[in-house]
Amino acid sequence: MRRNTILIEIFIALLALAFVFPIILIFVTSFKPDAEIIHFESILPQQWTLDNFREILASPVEIPIFRWFFNSLLISTSCTFVVLTVTSMAAYALARLNLPGKKKFFAVIIATLMVPGQILLIPVYFTLDFIGWLDNPLALIVPAGSSAFGVFLLHQFFKGLPRELEEAAVIDGCSVFRIYWHIILPLSKPALATLGIFTFIGSWNSFMAPLVFMDSVDKYTLPVGIALFQSSYSSEYGLTIAASLICTLPVIIAFLFFQKHIIKGISLSGLKS
Amino acid sequence: MKQSFIHKLANFSFMIPYLTLFFVFLIGPLIFGLGLSFFRWEMLSPAPPKFIGLGNYQEALIDPYARKALWATARYVVMAVPVKISIALLLAVLINTLTDSHQNFYRAAFFMPAMITISVGGILWRWFYNNEFGLFNTYLSKFFGIKIPWITDPDWAMKSIVFMTMWWSIGGAVIILMAGLKQIPKRYYEAASIDGASEFEQFINITLPLLKPILLLVVVLNIIGAFQVFGQTFMITRGGPEYSTRVMVHYIYDTAFHYYRMGYGSAMSWILFIIIAIFSTLQFRLSRGKKQNA
Repeated sequence: MRRNTILIEIFIALLALAFVFPIILIFVTSFKPDAEIIHFESILPQQWTLDNFREILASPVEIPIFRWFFNSLLISTSCTFVVLTVTSMAAYALARLNLPGKKKFFAVIIATLMVPGQILLIPVYFTLDFIGWLDNPLALIVPAGSSAFGVFLLHQFFKGLPRELEEAAVIDGCSVFRIYWHIILPLSKPALATLGIFTFIGSWNSFMAPLVFMDSVDKYTLPVGIALFQSSYSSEYGLTIAASLICTLPVIIAFLFFQKHIIKGISLSGLKS
Repeated sequence: MKQSFIHKLANFSFMIPYLTLFFVFLIGPLIFGLGLSFFRWEMLSPAPPKFIGLGNYQEALIDPYARKALWATARYVVMAVPVKISIALLLAVLINTLTDSHQNFYRAAFFMPAMITISVGGILWRWFYNNEFGLFNTYLSKFFGIKIPWITDPDWAMKSIVFMTMWWSIGGAVIILMAGLKQIPKRYYEAASIDGASEFEQFINITLPLLKPILLLVVVLNIIGAFQVFGQTFMITRGGPEYSTRVMVHYIYDTAFHYYRMGYGSAMSWILFIIIAIFSTLQFRLSRGKKQNA
């Protein structure tokens, strides 16, 4: 019995190492000279070098990585803000307010959870074209506010808050907006944090939307920038891998900090029914 | 009475921002896309969009590339889903036997690859799979004197995509299944081991039946997700070799944004949507069935 546990632990530990290994590889490989990447000899660089990073800094036109980094940061932050604001207001109305037909509203919103984003690619492209938002960061920010997942997640959380809170506030003459702002939102920090981190990482890693909606090189986000750089300069291994590290490091750090929220969010999304 | 109307209006105003975005970017495009699918609209030709009824859907039925795309998608779904769920279940059950702090550690380790954007993951694995100087073939030829045509052979390419996907996305399934395992009361296992049931018997007679609703949910969610595969094939194999990995979303993307055939692309989007909707309905059925049993 005891020996079994140790065997299981060793097996799981080795497998976990294999899963994390490629990420470590991004890290160490970005310090290798090109020649060592092409002729793979050892995992660690035989000759550590910062050349790849230096070269990225020196080629702001071919690989404007800081521009992309800034775009990604701006888009992901705004996206998170839009999703939190818009979905928390809707979820508050649906969960706590007297609203005729709200059950039907909620059912329709939940039904759209099964509409896959890729299906909407072509018509949303034309919608954005019509508004004049193609090749504009707004195209990657504003539509995210229609997330049914956000409404669903916050709705479930708001419903669980005790009724008495509001009743006392109503007797004191608080408006619905003040109840939302001063009572509901502060009490919902854990749920908002979960949704916020989810949205941020989803937006940071989003690939298809920026690929289709953005046209100019200086408007790309990091993932698309790196992908298109790699396909046009496919022999620049060192540069590509160093750029990959710059794209990956922030999410990995965010994950290590917020893993509790992230894992809770995923567990929730699976246990939703 | 009047005041209550004003109240209702104030209450409704909380819905306005969401409903606006919901209709402009979700419901509107959904209907618009359906409309588009009945038109011939080639943006590269000067001809204006023309209503052709079900013409695009008929084309999809006979278009050999659409068939290839459907076949590639089906192959992916049939390989990726069972493999992923079985491994995730095995991992969840094994990790669940360890101490709590170790559980958290391993759960995080298995999930970490999912944090990586697909373009970085794709670049990395394209290099792993490279015939000449890739990581895998370097070691395979060094130790076993063989090389595997990971992404250059049509028979291997989709398997390689599935293999990479296991690394990239198994963590989510492990997390959900572990959450499901935690809901099973410990006393069931205690009672069973007093009765002398082996660990394997406990897994078959307690874990599996009680985990069934969540397991079904994970299966259906993964089938739905698998039908939408795109990033992996786009980055690692670019749909090749010989279109063996050009899945439906990839073909829709090419049709719409390389050949600019918007009507045909929309029709194929709706075909994919209908396939996915069938599985989603299945999911709702299953979860409703679960509630009735409880």
